[in-house]
Amino acid sequence: MSVPAPELTPARRILAGAGWSGLGVIAIAVMLADFLARVPLGTVHVGPDLAPPSQQFPFGTDLLGRDMFSETLYGLSTTVAQAGEAAILAVLAGGLLGFVTAHLPRWAGQALRWAVGAFAAIPALLLALLIIALTARGFQGLAAGLAAAPLAFVRAFDRARAATTLGHAEYARATGISASALLNRDLAYEFRDTFLSTVARALAAVAIILSTMSFLGFGAVPPHRDLGLMIAAAKASYMQAWWTAAFPALALMLVILLARLAAGLDEGERP
Amino acid sequence: MSEARAAVTIKDLCLARGDAREIDRFSLTLHAGETVILLGEAGSGKDAVLRVLADLIERGEEAGGTIRFGEGETRPIARKQKNPLRTAYLPGTVPLPLDGRPSAVAQLSRVIARKLDCPRGAGREELRAALARFAGAPSLETLDGPAAALDKADLAFGLLAAAMAVTPELVLADHPFADLSPAAARRLSSALAGEQKRLGFALVYAAREPQPVLRLGGRVVVLRQGRVVEEGAAAHLLAGQTHAYTSALFKALPQPAAKPLRAAARGEPLLQVQGLVLQPEPRKTPRQRDMLSFELRRGAAMALVGEAGSGRSVLLRAVLGLERRPGRILFDAVDLNLLSEAMTLRLRRRVAFVTANDDALDPRMTLWDTVDEPLRAHLKLSRELTAGYRDTALKRVGLASHDGRRTVATLSPFDRRRLQVARAIVAAPLLVVVDEPLRGLDAPAQTTMRDLLAQFRVESQAAFLVVTSDFSVAEALCDEAMVFDKGRVVERGPIAALARMPKEDATRMLVEAASPLSREAAAV
Repeated sequence: MSVPAPELTPARRILAGAGWSGLGVIAIAVMLADFLARVPLGTVHVGPDLAPPSQQFPFGTDLLGRDMFSETLYGLSTTVAQAGEAAILAVLAGGLLGFVTAHLPRWAGQALRWAVGAFAAIPALLLALLIIALTARGFQGLAAGLAAAPLAFVRAFDRARAATTLGHAEYARATGISASALLNRDLAYEFRDTFLSTVARALAAVAIILSTMSFLGFGAVPPHRDLGLMIAAAKASYMQAWWTAAFPALALMLVILLARLAAGLDEGERP
Repeated sequence: MSEARAAVTIKDLCLARGDAREIDRFSLTLHAGETVILLGEAGSGKDAVLRVLADLIERGEEAGGTIRFGEGETRPIARKQKNPLRTAYLPGTVPLPLDGRPSAVAQLSRVIARKLDCPRGAGREELRAALARFAGAPSLETLDGPAAALDKADLAFGLLAAAMAVTPELVLADHPFADLSPAAARRLSSALAGEQKRLGFALVYAAREPQPVLRLGGRVVVLRQGRVVEEGAAAHLLAGQTHAYTSALFKALPQPAAKPLRAAARGEPLLQVQGLVLQPEPRKTPRQRDMLSFELRRGAAMALVGEAGSGRSVLLRAVLGLERRPGRILFDAVDLNLLSEAMTLRLRRRVAFVTANDDALDPRMTLWDTVDEPLRAHLKLSRELTAGYRDTALKRVGLASHDGRRTVATLSPFDRRRLQVARAIVAAPLLVVVDEPLRGLDAPAQTTMRDLLAQFRVESQAAFLVVTSDFSVAEALCDEAMVFDKGRVVERGPIAALARMPKEDATRMLVEAASPLSREAAAV
């Protein structure tokens, strides 16, 4: 088969396993955030302002004396929840649609491919900001998912179109296998072989989009701060108190790194 | 021959990778001007011998025994040392031995220039001169295109010319003509034999089927699982084989005209082709002689015989609905071009297809899924009934012992071909289209495949349309044939009559290239 093979080498399979395990641990931490956090979300003056990491406050405190450990945990949970929704949306709205479009009559599929390809030429972050501008704040998950969808569409379309021109697709058509049966067959194998890695890649992509949007002030709305907004909020203090930016940034890096590992370190920018 | 100097002497060659022994205690003395054919299936040890001769022992392989090239010293095989003989390697055309995109001429000229230590332009002229010596070879300009786009026979001529241009003393031929039509293989074998006579090189020829024994003669070493099972002059082995394995290999040779499976069918027409234009010329009304019309009756078998590029594949694709051509194709008295997609599919489910293309089956599917698919797609059967049909079909093609959950990607080419037949069996077809059914198979696999298809024809009562460049395949499976040449049908009629009294040169060439054992063996 000449479709780009999703096959992972054994070493990359181990890395992917490690990535998914790490994401699993993060998912558990996010679900138990209310139990693991020392104080409720947004509680101020828990300790002195800008206290450095200590035994009492492992991640230190911020300008308002908030416990950075609890805040980072809540921020992580907001980021992961939104990124998860956005990644699923990108894969379904982009990937699935791209796959089905590739099985439309040739001219119709190609016309859609060109139209979506033109959208995909717009940087995903700009597209997300445009969607936010056209809707309202609070829909950042939807915006990030839709912004990443064109890239997912193009990738899925190209893979599926390559599959339809292969010898086995011709062979099936010649022996009376319908286009819908072929589509079902391709979808089943595509889902089995690439769904998880596509979701992981999308997760990394939308986590970056979401955090950047929040950093720029177009994303999360307080009191539900995500990691991007926490890093933005630390702009005023991080020269004197590095921990206010470092721990949210490390948490964000960890999510993106684990998602990329889970995708088998497939560096492609497309979800 | 005994007075000629020995070009290569191998003694007690053993090659193993871990516990797997690739070749065991193999000895060979090869003189200048002599031909040795290493005959055996994949994994028989031919590849190991060629690699030892080319000094290409891989890391992790343990080698034992000694080797001597020409008048040089005898050295252990494990000790790497430059081979003092000018050695040329002649590969097959599948898989493509060159980079697919660049010009074949540029790549071959570079190889010649490097071997002769001359400018690339001189290498190109050497290639041109070598090509000019071969009858039926393409011009240098014809080969000056992307290697992947070239006709396989043309490419084989290019590879042969490049090998001969370096005036070799030893030629290592690695299944060079195995994937070509018999006529092309015959032309190339003649060219190789002519060059051997002219240059006097020693030739080691690895083959998986016995046809090269007929075409080149010389000495034959039959290998099986790394051991020599029989050895002797080609003429002796053709006259009679001692070992059962050798007999099985030689059974793949075309046999003298067998009795037709049954008399030509007199049933209703199943497939009617009317005024089909195989090579339409833009802005020109097709002439009557360029239009193809024929009919295939229920239960009959028709062969479309011709070289690659003669037009038979165009007809095949049109019949299978993969390409539209001017003209009408009626299946069961219904014009396929006039039907809706859904109706066409209903008719096409009664068409089965067996092809030599390895990517015909979805490599992701399991054995069971592959055979089940036509049943699931077209009929609403219970799971038990589907499994019953599937198991029966797999048993008939000899795949019942395979794990049904294995994917197609893990199967050998022969198993994939048999799986196609199993899929055809469960579809209960009215028409079976077969495209080069034996191409690329080992000798025993060729015999099995031919018998399997013949048996399928007898038992299914389906009509057969067989596309082949091998006249012996047409004789084994069909009652009638159409001979294609340069995009047109040049001759048609009962197979037996065409084989006995071919009227056209194209037919004569095809018949002679696949002449039965008795005729060609007499020539050897």
